[in-house]
Amino acid sequence: MSVNIISKTCDQVDSIINHISKKRPKDLWMFEVQKAYWNDIRDAHKNGKKVVFFGGPAPVELIYAFDAVPFFLDMIPTRIASDTDTTAIYVDEAEKHVPPTSCALDKVELGVALRGDFGVDPDAFVYCTVPCDSARECHPAIDRILDVPSIRLDIPFRRDRRGYEYLAEQYKDFIKFMEELTGNKMDWDKFAEVAEISNKSNDLMNKIADLRKLKPCPLPGHLLVLNEMMLGMSGHPDMLKFMEKQYEVGKARADKGIGQLKEEKYRVSWLQNIVWANAGLLGWLEKEFGAIVVMDGFGYQNGILFDDINDKEEALVVMAKKAMSSPMIHGASGPAEHFVNIVENIMEDYEVGVSMFIGHVGCKHTFAAAKMVTDMVQDKFDIPTLMLELDSIDMRYKSADEVKASIAEYMESVVGAERITKDKA
Amino acid sequence: MKFEKLFDTSISNESIKEWKAQGKKVIGTICCHVPEEIIHAAGMLPIRVRATGCEDNSEAETWMSSLSCSFASSCLQYLIDETYDLDGLIATDGCMMATRIYDNWNYIDPDKKDHYIHISAAPRLVNDLSLDYYKNELKDIKEGIEKFAGVKITDEKLKASVDLYNETRRLIRELYELRMAKNPVISGTDTLKITLAAASMPKEEFNVLLKDFLEDAKNRTPITTNRTRLMVIGSALDNPEYMKVIEDKGGLIVADALCFGSRYLWEPVELDNNDVLGSIAKSYLTRPVCPRMIDLHDELHEVIQNMVEEYKVEGIIYEKLQNCECWGGEGFYLNDLMKKANIPMLTLDREELMSNVGQLEVRTEAFIEMIEEEY
Repeated sequence: MSVNIISKTCDQVDSIINHISKKRPKDLWMFEVQKAYWNDIRDAHKNGKKVVFFGGPAPVELIYAFDAVPFFLDMIPTRIASDTDTTAIYVDEAEKHVPPTSCALDKVELGVALRGDFGVDPDAFVYCTVPCDSARECHPAIDRILDVPSIRLDIPFRRDRRGYEYLAEQYKDFIKFMEELTGNKMDWDKFAEVAEISNKSNDLMNKIADLRKLKPCPLPGHLLVLNEMMLGMSGHPDMLKFMEKQYEVGKARADKGIGQLKEEKYRVSWLQNIVWANAGLLGWLEKEFGAIVVMDGFGYQNGILFDDINDKEEALVVMAKKAMSSPMIHGASGPAEHFVNIVENIMEDYEVGVSMFIGHVGCKHTFAAAKMVTDMVQDKFDIPTLMLELDSIDMRYKSADEVKASIAEYMESVVGAERITKDKA
Repeated sequence: MKFEKLFDTSISNESIKEWKAQGKKVIGTICCHVPEEIIHAAGMLPIRVRATGCEDNSEAETWMSSLSCSFASSCLQYLIDETYDLDGLIATDGCMMATRIYDNWNYIDPDKKDHYIHISAAPRLVNDLSLDYYKNELKDIKEGIEKFAGVKITDEKLKASVDLYNETRRLIRELYELRMAKNPVISGTDTLKITLAAASMPKEEFNVLLKDFLEDAKNRTPITTNRTRLMVIGSALDNPEYMKVIEDKGGLIVADALCFGSRYLWEPVELDNNDVLGSIAKSYLTRPVCPRMIDLHDELHEVIQNMVEEYKVEGIIYEKLQNCECWGGEGFYLNDLMKKANIPMLTLDREELMSNVGQLEVRTEAFIEMIEEEY
C-alpha cells in the first residue's frame, strides 16, 4: 500500500503541536519550525512552486532565491526514526539492493524512493558527493528512480581555497540548472534577501553555541538535534524565527544564571551522530544523571556568514565554505584531522567533563577515526570516552534500553555518577 | 625462467629489495587515482599498497574498528608492522576507508620527517571543472615529489614515463587476450599474480618479464579442465588464493573488472604534448575504475558487459568486501542489468582474511553446476 510520507509527517507534526500546545505551550516554538518546513513541501505545488529534492549540503539559499522549495532527504529518516516499524519497512526495502551495512539514513531515503512513497513529486534532484560512500551509492540510485532533471555537485575532500573555488564554480552551473528548471533568471536581489536571513540565522546559531559554553548550560541537549535543520532551511524565515526564539530563551536564562538543569553535574560532549531514533536519550541523561550534552561533534555550530552579499563571486565561495563546514560534513567527510580538531575545540571551549562517542554504525568512516579522536580526548583532557555503537535511525540494531544500560554503566562505573531518579535503565 | 618473478605476490619482493639496495626510494600509493607516472618520472619506485597474505590485522582494526573494510584495515596493518619499507606514501580519497588508512598511519606515527606523505583529492565527477581541479592536485603531487626527490620532473621525463606505462598497459591487455581463447594458457589466479607484480615492481623490469612470459605462453599447455568461464568483479581483490578456490572448482576466471586486475593499468594515457599533466589527469579521472565515481556507473557497466562478450564469459562472480559501500551498492544496477543480459551472477560477501573458504567453495560449486545445467 502506498504511503504519502510527506503528508503523513505533516499530520504527525500537527498532532504533536496540538499536544504540545496543551501540555507545554511555552515549547511550541520548537515544533512550529518543523510544521513550517513540512507544510512548505507538501503545499509547494499548490502554491505554484518547484520542489527540489536534495542530498548532502546543497546550496539552499540559491534554491530559495528561485522561489523554489528545497527538500533535504535526510529529513525523512531523521523524522520517522522514532517509528521503528515504518523505518524498518524502508530499510528492508533498500536492503534488497544495497548492503545492510549502508547508512540507515540513506537506506530509508532509497527505500522511500523504491516504494514511491514520497507523496510529492520533485521537479528536480540535486545531490552531492558527500558525506560518505553510503550516500554516494544511494543518491545516484535515487536519481535513477526519480527520473527528474538532476545535477550533481562534487564536494572535494580537503577544505581549502582551491576546494571552495571549485565548488563555487559548480554553483554557477547550478544557477543555470535552476534557471532552466524555473524558467526564471537568477534574481540576485532575492538572493540578497535570502542571504540576509541566512546570515541572521547563522549568527544566532553561533551566539547560541556560545551560550552553551556557559556554566550552567542554559539550553537542553535536544535542541542540538533541531539545530541541524539549518542544513535544510538556511535562509528560511521560519528558521530565523526558531533561532531568534531559541536565543531569546537561552539568553534570558543565561542572564539569570539559570541552567537547563537545576543542578548541572556533568557536561557531556557527544562526539558522533545524534540518536535520531531516540533523541529522548539526551533528556534521559539530564534527568537521570544531571548530565547535559553541551555540544555534539557532528553539529558543532560554527555558522559561516556572508561578508558581502553583493559580491556575487565571493558569495558563492562563502556558500561553498558553508557547505563544507555544515553538520556531518565538516568533521566526518574530509580528513580525520578536521574531526580531531573539532572535538578538541569542543572539549576546550565547552569545558566538558564527560565524553561519549555514541556512534551510528552507518558512519563507518567516523568509527575508523574514532581511536584518533578518543585517544586525543584521553591524552589531552584525561577523559576516558564511552565508545558505543548503535544505529541512529534503525532501532532494531540496538534497543533504547540496551543503549541506556551501557550509558548508565559508564556513568556509574567510570564517571562515578549517581542516579538522580530511582528508575533503572 | 626469469619471468617466474611475475608470480611472486609477496609485499617486499626481490625487485623492491634490489631497488632499495641501490639507495633508491620507494613510494607507496593508496587507490587508483595516484598516477604512478609522476613518481616514476622522479626516479622513484611507486608501488600500490595492498595486503596480500595478511593473516592478522588486529592491531589495525583497533584503529579502523571492526566496521571498516578489512582490505583497508589489512593495508594499515602492513604499514604499521612495517611489512612495507617505504620512503613515502601518497593516497587519494578513493573511498572513505582509503582516506582512513592514510589518516591513521599519519596519526600513529606523525614523525616521518624523512618521508614524503601526502593525500590528494580526486574528484568524483568528470567535467571540465573537475579535470582542472584534479590537474592542480596532481601538480601538488608533482611539486611535492620534486622537492622530496631533489629533481625536476620535466615534461620530457613525464612523457617517457607515460610511454613506459602505456607499454605496460599494452602488455597487460595482450596478457588478457590470451584468456579469450577457448582453452586459455593462463588461469585467472596466475593473471592476478602478474597484475599484482605490475603494481609492485619497476615497470622497466616488469615489461621485460611480461614480454618473456608472453613469448613463452605460445608453448604453454592450454587449460582444458574447466567447467565454465567466469568473470570476477567487485571490491579490491589482491588475493590470488581467492581466485584459486574458485578455479579449483572448475570455474576458470577469464576476465575481471578489479582494481588490482584489468582496471589497474588498461586504458592508455593519450598524450597531449602541450599539456602532459592534463593528459594524465584526463586519463586517470575518466577511466572507469570503481563505483567511487558517481557519474561513471554506465561506463563501468559497459566495460563489464564488453568483457563478458569478448571473453565469452558464462557467469559473473560479484564479490563485495564487507563494509565496502562503493561496490556493495552496485548491485542496485548490476542485478537488473545481468538479468536482462541473461548472464548468471553470483554475489558473494568477502573479507580480506581468507576465513570462509568452505562457504566460498560450496557456493562456487553450486553456481558452476547451475551454469552447466541451465546455460
